[in-house]
Amino acid sequence: MSSLESKGDGGKWLDAHYDPVAGLYTFSSCVDLADLSGDGDSRLVVGDLGTGSTGMKLKVYRGTALMSESTLLDLPAGLVALFIDQFEPRIPVVAVASGPCVYVYKNLRPYFKFTLPTLEINPVEQAMWQQVREGQIDPVMLKEMLEDVRKKADVPLSDRSLRFLSLAADEVDEFVQLHKQQPIRRQTVIICIGTLKKSTADEDGISCLVIGTENANVFVLDPEAFNILSKMCLPAVPTMMDVTGQFDVEFRITVACRNGSIYILRRESEKPKYCIELPSHPVGLVRVGKNVIVGCSDESLQGFTQKGKKLWRIPLPAPITTMAAMELPARGLQAVLVGLANCQVQLYRDKNLLSTIKTPDAVTSICFGRYGREDGTLIMTTKGGGLMVKILKRTAAFDERDGAPGPPLAQSVRLNVPKKTKLYVDQTLRERENGLAMHRAFHMDLSRMRLAAARTYVKVLESSLTPMSCSLSEPLKMNAVVQGLGPSFKLTLNVQNTASCRPVMNLAISFLYDDNLYRIRNAYMRIPLLVPGLIYPIQTFVECVSDKGVSDIIKVFVLHEEKSAPLLTAHINMPVSEGLTLS
Amino acid sequence: MGLFDKLVGWLRLKKEVNVLCLGLDNSGKTTIINKLKPSNAQVQDIVPTIGFNIEKFKTSSLSFTVFDMSGQGRYRNLWEHYFKEGQAIIFVIDSADKLRMVVAKEELDNLLNHPDIKHRRIPILFFANKMDVRDALSSVKVSQLLCLENIKDKPWHICATDAIKGEGLQEGVDWLQDQIKTMRT
Repeated sequence: MSSLESKGDGGKWLDAHYDPVAGLYTFSSCVDLADLSGDGDSRLVVGDLGTGSTGMKLKVYRGTALMSESTLLDLPAGLVALFIDQFEPRIPVVAVASGPCVYVYKNLRPYFKFTLPTLEINPVEQAMWQQVREGQIDPVMLKEMLEDVRKKADVPLSDRSLRFLSLAADEVDEFVQLHKQQPIRRQTVIICIGTLKKSTADEDGISCLVIGTENANVFVLDPEAFNILSKMCLPAVPTMMDVTGQFDVEFRITVACRNGSIYILRRESEKPKYCIELPSHPVGLVRVGKNVIVGCSDESLQGFTQKGKKLWRIPLPAPITTMAAMELPARGLQAVLVGLANCQVQLYRDKNLLSTIKTPDAVTSICFGRYGREDGTLIMTTKGGGLMVKILKRTAAFDERDGAPGPPLAQSVRLNVPKKTKLYVDQTLRERENGLAMHRAFHMDLSRMRLAAARTYVKVLESSLTPMSCSLSEPLKMNAVVQGLGPSFKLTLNVQNTASCRPVMNLAISFLYDDNLYRIRNAYMRIPLLVPGLIYPIQTFVECVSDKGVSDIIKVFVLHEEKSAPLLTAHINMPVSEGLTLS
Repeated sequence: MGLFDKLVGWLRLKKEVNVLCLGLDNSGKTTIINKLKPSNAQVQDIVPTIGFNIEKFKTSSLSFTVFDMSGQGRYRNLWEHYFKEGQAIIFVIDSADKLRMVVAKEELDNLLNHPDIKHRRIPILFFANKMDVRDALSSVKVSQLLCLENIKDKPWHICATDAIKGEGLQEGVDWLQDQIKTMRT
């Protein structure tokens, strides 16, 4: 048992299968479990994204083996299995949404393709392309006119016009020749897909498809005829969707949108009834019972009622990668699984952490349900394309541990208070006895020190020895850096004008040094105009001419060209030259 | 079991043995028991067992009473109520179901660690069933996956079987019969 405990999930899960090289790249929205042959043996249906541009496949797993594989035409946005007819045996169809279409597979064969209705086209745009076809306007003029329409009109341009506007001048003619004969169309694409029971709540009842599109609409489709039963509008583009209820009775569609809000749609209303505004973007949306659990990009999990009232918020140890609901009605278990970027999957019932599963890689999709003949199966795919199947033990019981973590760890750390020795006690005794004399002596010394400091300061100001200039007309700062081992050194002076908006002009630099020891290439330099804020590195080369291994101080003066008193001064202690001059 | 019961047991002419038939759902327990019955008593249609069935069959010297338990998850907690009565266990494994081999192992471990079973030296017969399925595991592989070599204190035996044709069943039942006889003497 101890080996199981050390795995971190409390020995509640059985490792049924792990294939680290399954090559499954997918998200939770593209994974579903369904009894595709009607024999009571559930299969795993996965819309594999491949590399994102090639190798999109519809894969079906049975047990530990890949059962079938068929190529998808486009990147899948979502995949659901649903019943669309009453025929026996009850075999569900698989609906894969990609681009503007929903491909429906029956018995894993293409059965039906539903395409979203095209959107209305700007009449002005249509007229323009008509004129192009008739040869009345040339591409350059078309470009100008389309640009006008794009800025003014409230109906957006079609894909073709937008593509045309982005072309370079030499590609325009060819593009127009190629496309002018075809009528223009404007289409939208499907972002998310869900299912909604038509009239019964049975597990194998007929379901409607629910589709969220890029132009912020939600459609409910008829299961038999695939026409649109209901159309709803959202204020923003939907990204995730959760559907409950029955279409004929009452339903709720909870939609997370790209603007960071969650909208709740109900029957008989075209517009969302409730809105939840989140402080950060939603990355996972799961409904557990009557509550909506949202995973946010600020590493937190939040619970809301179905009317949008916030119930709780808990921080998570890492960013969320995916979320899924875990429902096992036979054991009365309703919880939410959260995949984290730190290679963990955490199980929460409301706001209580029930268990943590450690995974060898970050999980990108989670699916919990009946797989094969086992009801409590957890299927996960990892970032590296691995497939992991875990089965909940029959004897596993989830008890809510106390959510409060107890006193913080810092409380038990002892404070670092230094100890006092006998020396300290003796000192305090002396202070107690001779307090008056000590006070007087100290104040006398302090006054003397102030005097000495003031004297030195005045002396420094008089001879401008400071590397900071405090005069109001030329606030300057300078520091000097010496690089190299010798005999030649590189001397860099960083001069900066610290005024807020006044440039400084007509400055020069002069060096004072011992001729016998050093040679400087140009001992007098003019400084360019100093723009406030910038640091000007001014470089020169110093060569040590002595072979005695002695070093000296070089003084640098920054002066105004008309005045002889230096503005600021720097003293550079030259390092000992570690080489010999060749000359 | 009182002294009187034991006396009655010994005095029986044909000895009766209670056997528990366990295993996950869809592993073929009812089919195996059905195949062991005399051919005129066999049923044609086999449906998933609800709760459990009591079946009887005879071999040359023993009369077996089999508790054919349902293997569905929700009925598996019934198993332990019959552990006391069992004098032998037949454990059926679907060798084509690689995914649930861990579940079978888990149930077997629960069984072996149960206080009613743990300290009794009762024979366990494993049937690695569905050998006819194309990608079925061999009986050696099944015994490896179930860690059968760790069972030290009980006699056990594993047979590869095909319950529909009845292949391999007789070998297993003969072994079980020998074990029960040696235990009695």
